Amino acid sequence: MSGQRLGTIVGLELMQRTRSVAWYVLLGVFALLLVIVTGLSFLAWGGVAAPGGAIYSTIVYITLLLIVLVSPTLSGNAINGDRDAATLAPVQVTLATTSEILLGKTLAAWITGLAFVVVALPFLVIATFAGGGALTTITVSLLVLVFEVGIIAAIGVALSGILSRPLFSVATTYLVVMALVVGTVIAFALVGFTIRSEVTTHYRSLDWEHYSGDTYPCMPGDKPSDENPCDDVELACGEWTTSTHEVPRFDHVWWLLAANPFVILADATPTQFDSGGYPRDLFGQIKFGVRAAQQPPDLEPSYDDCSPMRQDQQPTPREIIDQSTPSWFVGMTLQLLLAAGLLWWAWARTRTPAGRLPSGTRIA
Amino acid sequence: MTTSGTAAAPHAADGEAGIVVDGVRRAFGQVQAVRSVSLHARAGRVTGLVGPNGSGKTTLLLMLASLLAPDAGSIRIDGIDPVADPQAARARLGWMPDALGAWGTLTSRETLVVTARLYGMPKAEASARADALLAEVGLVELADAAARVLSRGQKQRLGLARALVHDPRVLLLDEPASGLDPQARIELRLLLRRFAAEGRTVLVSSHILSELEEVVDDAVFLLGGATVDPARVEAASRRARPWRVRLAGADGAAAVDAVAAALGVPAESVGVDRRDVVVSLETDEDAAAALRELVTKGLDVVEFAAAQGSLERTFLDLGDGRPPQAAPGPPASTPPPAAADESEATS
Repeated sequence: MSGQRLGTIVGLELMQRTRSVAWYVLLGVFALLLVIVTGLSFLAWGGVAAPGGAIYSTIVYITLLLIVLVSPTLSGNAINGDRDAATLAPVQVTLATTSEILLGKTLAAWITGLAFVVVALPFLVIATFAGGGALTTITVSLLVLVFEVGIIAAIGVALSGILSRPLFSVATTYLVVMALVVGTVIAFALVGFTIRSEVTTHYRSLDWEHYSGDTYPCMPGDKPSDENPCDDVELACGEWTTSTHEVPRFDHVWWLLAANPFVILADATPTQFDSGGYPRDLFGQIKFGVRAAQQPPDLEPSYDDCSPMRQDQQPTPREIIDQSTPSWFVGMTLQLLLAAGLLWWAWARTRTPAGRLPSGTRIA
Repeated sequence: MTTSGTAAAPHAADGEAGIVVDGVRRAFGQVQAVRSVSLHARAGRVTGLVGPNGSGKTTLLLMLASLLAPDAGSIRIDGIDPVADPQAARARLGWMPDALGAWGTLTSRETLVVTARLYGMPKAEASARADALLAEVGLVELADAAARVLSRGQKQRLGLARALVHDPRVLLLDEPASGLDPQARIELRLLLRRFAAEGRTVLVSSHILSELEEVVDDAVFLLGGATVDPARVEAASRRARPWRVRLAGADGAAAVDAVAAALGVPAESVGVDRRDVVVSLETDEDAAAALRELVTKGLDVVEFAAAQGSLERTFLDLGDGRPPQAAPGPPASTPPPAAADESEATS
């Protein structure tokens, strides 16, 4: 691995990209979309006390969404497109190694994708000034964004080395990225509903038939008072009844969501809570949703009207998030393994002197 | 030039300079592109690779350029095995593909600088090398034009310059002359001769046999993915070849009887091609004797020349698909002039 050759390949890729007009048009369209989205989020979050975090997270999410939509076209034909244009072999015949070519193209696609993040920066600054996301939120979410751009770039370059037709590899890159973005959610829902558990609910009510007072009977241990004007009669307890129904077990499949780029972004970013323990931004809300899915359902709930009212409250989102397992590093590891595995496959397919060639491939 | 002996020497020593190929095979799926190739392109000489379309020339060159691995057999580039140590082989190889893939948005100079950088040259050196090469291939005025706007011939020149960037010891050229104008062809020829004179190895494939003839020292014939046995090449080269005779003030039809009479052959065995009479002669000695005869008989000979280059004739004879051991054709069988015309039209 030589730094100079790697740098030359990155430079070569970037030189070619930055000289196409289409590229600047794309960046312009992207900026225009962000103007619209920023404007809309200011309106949408206007009623919230400190809208900065919410607006900020919305813009970061839109940026990630657009990168997910655009990146496959930036990297999905890196290798086979060059092969079609007969510009791959002249590089392979130099001292540049296959790993340098693959890595160089991945880095170039990464940097190209980061240009979109750079375009989004002014809007993020505006959102920050509008009521401020916390510094940790900004730092971590940007780092995750940069990471995701790199992963998509690597997947695109790798698939372009594995498949011989540029159109096909771009489409496959879209499929893989969409499998991460949408497929994980679908799998989560379908598998979660498939794995069901039977919930047995026990319930005992008071024997209301023998009560004839005006208000309500005192609970065992209560005494009538002004605040609690109950009838000081002991009602007999009724019979226990049992009913069953089924619930989906999302707590078994929550990790399926871990590899979702949007979930990783939300999960990794430290959440800002309001005084009620509710997250202030989109990241936190999604994180809460994912973390809540980790909670196992109560399979033997019992409700007893005879015993004194239990004082248990629903836990706040903050408490749920604090008690649950972070999944972002699992997701990042899965994505890294996927990208590295595909790159290795692409390396084996692109290596020269080439042994068996994929059918329909011309070496030069 | 010699056409014999080049395909021999398959068991040359590993350390030998030049290209040594021994029993190389390569298939793409069911298609056996190269069946059995053995050749030795010596350092200090220009070796021509001649064969019809689909004979495996490009596949062979791709294997020599370290891009394809042979299914069997061995390749040595200056003693280096490109399969085992592609890096070392690539440092010595300059490869010019038949279709130049140019980075469309890069200028000629940038293309050369990038290539030089990929060979590990420092920036300043790469830049100087690019300028020198642009001057050498005559692209100075187009140095800052995007490769996209270059004509086919200009792209060929750029491809040649790119193959020379790292001052290779071994040069592999696939159809280098296609698209070049006459001036550029002459320059290419001089360049290849200079390369050989510097002790480098040059292997050049081309369909333009007349061009090749003027530059190559040795020739290797490829037919159906296999190098042609030198004995068969030798036999083919011994067959009768057509000579053109032109008499002053007489066109072909008028001169044919005089020439036939002077040489003592039936007029039917002598062909006519536009202004020329075409006679079939077997060896150089026969040709010399025939010329002497014509002059002695008082004919005003203004032109007496081989109608086909020896490469071209050998190529066409081999291409007839005659079995290698077949005796040379009967001396009287004059190749029809039309055939000679056709082969010239392709050059």
